[in-house]
Order: sequence, then C-alpha cells, then structure tokens
Amino acid sequence: TKNSGTQLLSSILHHQLLLPSITPLAVPKRAVIQGEYRRPGQPKKDKFPWQNINFSFSKGLEGIKKHFTLLKKEFTDHWVGPEGRPIVEHMLEQNRVVWEFRGPESLEEWTVSSDHEIGGHSEVYLKLGKNDNTCFLYGTLSSTPPRDGETRYSGYCTMRSKQPLASFDRKKHHDWSSFNTLHLRVRGDGRPWMINIVAETYFFHQKDDIYSYFLYTRGGPYWQDVKIPFSKFFLTHRGRIQDDQHPLWLDKVNTIGFTLGDKADGPFQLEIDFIGVCKDYAHTEEFAYEAYKRNPEV
Amino acid sequence: MNPYILMTLLFGLGLGTTITFASSHWLLAWMGLELNTLAIIPLMAQLHHPRAVEATTKYFLTQAAAAATLLFGSITNAWLTGQWEIQQLSHPLPTTMITLALALKIGLAPLHAWLPEVLQGLDLTTGFILSTWQKLAPFALLLQIQPTNSNLLIFLGLASTLIGGWGGLNQTQLRKILAYSSIAHLGWMILVLQFSPQLTLLTLMTYFLMTASAFLIFKINNSTNINTLATSWAKTPALTTLMPLILLSLGGLPPLTGFMPKWLILQELTKQDLAPTATLAALTALLSLYFYLRLSYAMTLTISSNTLTATTPWRFTSTQTTLPVATTTSLSLWLLPLTPAMMAILTI
Repeated sequence: TKNSGTQLLSSILHHQLLLPSITPLAVPKRAVIQGEYRRPGQPKKDKFPWQNINFSFSKGLEGIKKHFTLLKKEFTDHWVGPEGRPIVEHMLEQNRVVWEFRGPESLEEWTVSSDHEIGGHSEVYLKLGKNDNTCFLYGTLSSTPPRDGETRYSGYCTMRSKQPLASFDRKKHHDWSSFNTLHLRVRGDGRPWMINIVAETYFFHQKDDIYSYFLYTRGGPYWQDVKIPFSKFFLTHRGRIQDDQHPLWLDKVNTIGFTLGDKADGPFQLEIDFIGVCKDYAHTEEFAYEAYKRNPEV
Repeated sequence: MNPYILMTLLFGLGLGTTITFASSHWLLAWMGLELNTLAIIPLMAQLHHPRAVEATTKYFLTQAAAAATLLFGSITNAWLTGQWEIQQLSHPLPTTMITLALALKIGLAPLHAWLPEVLQGLDLTTGFILSTWQKLAPFALLLQIQPTNSNLLIFLGLASTLIGGWGGLNQTQLRKILAYSSIAHLGWMILVLQFSPQLTLLTLMTYFLMTASAFLIFKINNSTNINTLATSWAKTPALTTLMPLILLSLGGLPPLTGFMPKWLILQELTKQDLAPTATLAALTALLSLYFYLRLSYAMTLTISSNTLTATTPWRFTSTQTTLPVATTTSLSLWLLPLTPAMMAILTI
C-alpha cells in the first residue's frame, strides 16, 4: 500500500510537472498582454511614468527661442528663393555637399544603432575623425542572435541621418530633384555596406520602405570616391527586395543611412569625409531595373 | 492603359460633367460630381508609383468630403425650405455649406492644401485634366446658386489670390507652380461671382486656355521642374520664345488675353464700391506675376548650364501632336481685342 501510495503521489506530482499546453491560447495570458515579458535589448521599465518627466523652464525658453528664430528664417528665406537661396543658384547647381563632418555639431544630425536594441551583442560608436575632418563609425559586429526564442539572424550596425526639421518640429525634406547621383568620399575597411535612402511616404504600410544599394569599400589607406546614380537604388521593405520596383523620386528624401550586415563577426570601421549629390550629364538611365508585369494579360 | 478602360473612364468624366450641367435637382448634380471623382481616380493612379497613389487617395478623400458636405447642404435646404431645385437655394445656412463644399472641390483657399500635393504626384496629362475639366462641374453649380453671404465669397477670393501668390513663390516643381496659379485664378473668379457670373465664366474660359497651353508645352518638353524647363531651348525653340508671353498672359498683362478677365473684374468690383478689395486683388496678382516671370527667366532669358552632349532634339522630327498646343497658345495670346465679342457671347 505504501508503494501504491507513493505511486499515486508521484503520478499526481508528475501530472503537475507536465509542461504547459503548447496549443495557442484563444486569449493571451495576462502577463503577455500587460507586458511583463521584457524583450532582450529593451530598457527596464522600473520607473513610474510620472517619474520620467523632467520639466525644465530654461530648456523650454530656449526651445521657444529656437523655434521662433527658425520660423522667422523661413519667412525671410521665402522671399529669397527656393530653400533660401536665389533661383540662379538653384539653376546653376551641379554639385551639392549635403553632409560634411567638420565639427561636433555635424554629428548631431546622425544617429547610430545596432542590434543591441533587440538584444544582440554588436557595438557601434560614432565620433569625429582626425583633425575633426571626418566622421568615424566604428565598432564590433557580432552575429550571435539574441536569445528571445524567435530571432534567427542578427548582427547589424547602422548610421542614419536624422530627418531635417523646420520650426516647431515639422518635417522638412531634401529636394534633390536637380541631381541624379550620390557622391561619397569614404575610407572603409573592405567590408560591403548598404546605403539606404528613405523617401517621404504617406501610408502606414509604406513606413519601412527603403531604397537601397551597395557600397563596396576598399580597405586601403587611400580615400575612395563613390558615385552611385539614384536610378540604381532598388526598393526594399523591411529588408526584403520587392517585386514591384519603381524608381526613387528625389523631390522628398527624408534620411540616408549606412548599414553593415555582412555576417562577418569582428571589428569594423568606416570613415566618411562628405556626402553630396551631383548631376551627371552622361547618366541618362531613368531606372536600372525592369518594371514589367509578372503576369501579363494575354 | 487598356484602351477600352481608358475610353470608359474618359467617357465617365465627360458624362459626370454633363450630368451636373444638365441637372436642376441637387441629387442629380451631386451624382454627376461623384461620377467625375470616381472616373478620374483610376486615371490618376495608373502610374503605379506610391506618390501617385498618395495623390489619388488625397484627392479622393477631399472630393468625397466635399461631395458629402454638398449633399448635406442640399438636404438641409430641402428640409428647411422644401426645395430641391438648384436655383432655389434660399436659406443662408445650406447656401454657406454648399459654397464651402464647392470651394473644397475646386481648391479655393483656405481649402486649398490638397491641390499642390495632388498635382505633384500626377503625370502632366492627368494633372491637366484635373486642373481644367474637373473645375467645370463645380463652377456650373456655383454660378447657379445666388450667394447670400457676400463676405464669404470675398474672403475666399482674396485669400485664394493671396495664398496662390505667396505659396507659388518658392517652388521649383512646375506642377506645384501651376497648382498655386490655379488657386490664384480661382480666387479672381470667385471675387466677381456674386456681381457678374458672366465674368466668372469668362475668367474660367480664359484660365482654361492659358493653363492648357502651359500644361501642353510642359508635356512637349517633358519637364517637371525648372531645371529641365531650362533645356527646352534645344527641344522646341519656337515654343521657348512663345512661353514667356503665355506666362505673362497668365500673369494678366496687357495686351495679352489674361488681361481681359482681370480688367473686367477690377472694373466690376470698382463699380460695386469695392475699390479696396480690387486694389488688394491687383496687388496680390503681382506675387503670381513674380513666379511666372521667374519661369520665363529660367526658360527663355537664360541659357542654362545643362548642356546637351548629343544632337539637339529640335533637329529630329517629333511624333507629338502639336495642334492642341497651337490652338490654345494662339488663343491665350491674341484674344484681348475680341473683348466686346466675348462679353456679348457670355451675356446671352
């Protein structure tokens, strides 16, 4: 009887040790809905929402001054010409340097991120290069995926320009419609980078539409001038190349970015002297990829 | 596009406007307007670029809102006065609602914000149809309602001329320039609507001629911004010399056609004791003139640095049809001496 008693007890205990049901739940558990699971890479939420407010009167006054100055500048620029420059300059323009890294304030326009945000182990840093003349993006790539049970691949680092803002934080766009080529002066380490351009979108589904192309860097101590026509940029959405391709319209460009994701673990560096746009008269191609119908009607 | 579909859509466009023209009941007029909107939507989205789809969506939303407001206004009028006739719109509340709905339909300030973005997303042909044909039906309705609120119409008119002039000053994209010029011209039309509807019709017709010639010339040169326009000397030298005159006509300078409506409107406004309004309208027309002059400066008065390294295109024979350009260009330049004839035609 003792044996049968322990057997009964062990069977009850074993029943309790059974794994929870793996059938999908009709209603998710309270913990999932109410966010008790913290994804790797997300910051810890241990402060109450009201403790996140930092009210500062002087910062508010500075902000008001900054925005009204920008507003006044917009009004006065409107009288001068498009984008605050006379029309003659707009017509004669063939090259324009958009981002030049000549001081610490130029780094304010860029933001870096890596897969650390999703729990990976890459690191990326941005600083000014020698003599404050270039920007230096460096770090370590690690393609170990984060252990959250659903990410399979990882290992990317990126540097992206911030969206230009007008007064009162309204979105402004880069108007590159008089140019057709992207011109960069970089010094890399031999790794293949991707250049991502984000244009202005309207619908929610187009939020992650990015036009990409590749930047193959040479490793040498010499600078590399890279000219990529905008007609070569292909459309991707959330990293996947789309079947329905269309050319990038240059009249409302939001941001440009550089991404490294070449599955090679280890340190990397990229030095950028300037990023500009230019007009190449010999380049007459409108779009490099065929946009034919995949299922044409007979 | 499949030619049968294209034919159906263009037929739908024509049918919608014709229904609105021929209607005396508000519901039929609303139906014509909706038919117009729906027929042009596929034409706008045929260029399968996200910006074209964005323009189509914005156009649809604004036009649907305007049509709904129009329907609401006409039903309110039917409820308050029992009348469904378009010309029997007597209560001030539905009249104001309908006027504002029609202002949103055509793009008068302050309900103009959709027009530049929508025109920018379209190709030149569809933009042309939107700027000209789609204005006919709402104007047919505007001309028939007797507006009781004169201040509203003067406000709409002055705001449109001002915003059309101010907004177009900084643009380098030709379609946006034409959108702001459209807003300014519509302002002039609305200013004189309550005093002399015939002048509104005259302004509308001359505006159609001038905008048609502008759009067609841009289409021939295949240019959508000022820098591309600056190379038109190599493609069509004759049109390059005529374009400044067309732009000055759009700006309303004598002895070109564009002066005719502006002169008659200023005369009518002065006769109605609205001299300050007339002065303000004339001054804001100077803003529009500035950006027309800038276009003609870029196109004709300067040789741009965009050198063409190949044989200049004007040496080749072109396959483009030139009759519409020729007709509209000539009419938009030489109609001023025929002013008494135009007045007589429209008064009947």
